[in-house]
Amino acid sequence: MRGVHTLLIIYAILLIVGLTVPGMWQPVAFLMFYVALGQAFNIFLGLTGYVDFGYVAFLALGSYGMAIAMDSLYQTGLGAAILPIGLLLAALMSIMLSLAVGAVALRLRGAYFAIATIGVNEGFRYLIEGARLWGGSEGIIITGAMRKIFGREMANFISTMVADVLVFGIGLLAALTTYVIIHKRMGYALMAIREDEDAARVMGINVTKYKIMAFITSAFFAGLIGASAWTLKMTYVFPSDVFLITYTVEAIVIVMLGGAGTLLGPVVGGITYGLLKYYLSVILPGFQLLILAPLLVAIVVAFPEGIVGYLKERVRGTRFEGYIL
Amino acid sequence: MLLKVEDVTKRFGGLVAVDSVSFEIKEGEAFGIVGPNGSGKTTLYNMISGVYQPDSGRIIFDGRDITDLPAHARAPLGIGRTFQIPRPFPSATVRENVAVGAMFGRAQADVKEAMEISDYYIELVGLSEQANKAAGTLTPLEKRLMELARALAMKPRLLLLDEVMAGMNPKDIGNIIELLQKVRQEEKIAVVAMVEHLMHAITKFAERVMVMHQGRKLLEGPTMEVLNDERVIEVYLGKKIREGAEGAEGHRT
Ligand SMILES: Nc1ncnc2c1ncn2[C@@H]1O[C@H](COP(=O)(O)OP(=O)(O)O)[C@@H](O)[C@H]1O
Ligand SMILES: [Mg+2]
Repeated sequence: MRGVHTLLIIYAILLIVGLTVPGMWQPVAFLMFYVALGQAFNIFLGLTGYVDFGYVAFLALGSYGMAIAMDSLYQTGLGAAILPIGLLLAALMSIMLSLAVGAVALRLRGAYFAIATIGVNEGFRYLIEGARLWGGSEGIIITGAMRKIFGREMANFISTMVADVLVFGIGLLAALTTYVIIHKRMGYALMAIREDEDAARVMGINVTKYKIMAFITSAFFAGLIGASAWTLKMTYVFPSDVFLITYTVEAIVIVMLGGAGTLLGPVVGGITYGLLKYYLSVILPGFQLLILAPLLVAIVVAFPEGIVGYLKERVRGTRFEGYIL
Repeated sequence: MLLKVEDVTKRFGGLVAVDSVSFEIKEGEAFGIVGPNGSGKTTLYNMISGVYQPDSGRIIFDGRDITDLPAHARAPLGIGRTFQIPRPFPSATVRENVAVGAMFGRAQADVKEAMEISDYYIELVGLSEQANKAAGTLTPLEKRLMELARALAMKPRLLLLDEVMAGMNPKDIGNIIELLQKVRQEEKIAVVAMVEHLMHAITKFAERVMVMHQGRKLLEGPTMEVLNDERVIEVYLGKKIREGAEGAEGHRT
């Protein structure tokens, strides 16, 4: 449980800074998006060792789920109940996609899986644009719908505050889920799969089943993040904005930087990455990627187990053992 | 009959690694499989444990045709094995490694129970001091013992050991054989030990042996009888005998 305490303390500090220091809520929310993205992705990449290059499609579909709920599902009298309905639809859509992708691609081994997922994201984007699905390339704009449903002030409050709080909560929930999984049979099964898939099979582990379970769980949280951090916050969804491979790359970087499969890794990785990106764009606008990329490579080379993975090794046997998980 | 292997064949490209082999193993039996390098022993294990599908033939376990079952569905029925080249989950501890066997093998233990089973078998194979070390840091010999504990923690009814005694000194071999006889009697596990060269170990351990040669079953029967058969001596020592001199000691042990 001590690892969870460390996690809760970091979250509490972020929340207090964001709420009490004037002007800090938006920067904190910016960091929290990366933390939550890392937490959600860690459940798949961290626990199975598989890389999904199409991961952002889950956020994108979640984002559409919320937009569709606001735009087409709303009935008078539903009121604020449309928020949980939107989240539910977002989660459902991401889960459906993860089932479809997982059932086919998760039968493949590591590198083959990664290659198979590259097309998922672009494929879905072209499907939406080409088939004029969900507004095609014009996307769905829900600014008006939200004002009608919640009133102007409340709609504003939702996109400037509620959306961020949701992302905060989803990230925390994803982290606690990771903690629970790690300590259950599922966690041991995933560890075995990560370490030696063939040996895991012979030990009686249904590797496809456990990989799909981790994939679905990860996609579920990704969908909720897309619905909150994008649709509720921006009040629109454009395919060209949400199906961006950049987010997948950022998710991979955050998990690797913090420490794949660790509980605190995505928090540390998300905050580190977010701060670097933010300050580099302030100090050297336009050059941030030029500096960020080699810097990240250097960090990952120096700490192949990630920052938390490295610290975990260092505190082994000391009284801090257990606080870093 | 616990295991029936019926006319099983496995090809790799043009090579017939296992060629229509049939044999049976009784419950609780101590069975030995011997044969020179490349004679198809490991491939046979791979087919019984579900790593490979045979090209033809059937495998019956406890009266049930398991030929088409995936590996992960065979372990819970009670088939446990070790690997010729040990395959620990390297960054997990020895305790966690062995616990995985208890969780997903026939024991189907929950996490707490699995840790207790793990501790029991780690102690039995003499690895208690290494219990909290990462399995990847063990010596090759310790890795073998860890795999033995992990397979035993599965609570198998059939235990397939792939060269588990290779590289051990006579004292260690004696200990392992004693340990295997103990679990065999206490837990009614049929133990199949396969060796390339350790003939004296197999004479001490097995009641019956099967000799493999170039993918085929050469002979099967009571251990001493089979190992003293002329054809078997031919397979192992033929070359050396023809070369003369040190012939009889030709089998490296
Ligand atoms: N996966 C494989 N692919 C190709 N050839 C293989 C494979 N596994 C085993 N073989 C070949 O099958 C034959 C039998 O090998 P094996 O079962 O490992 O023998 P043993 O365990 O008796 O030494 C050898 O010629 C080996 O090279
Ligand atoms: Mg072999």
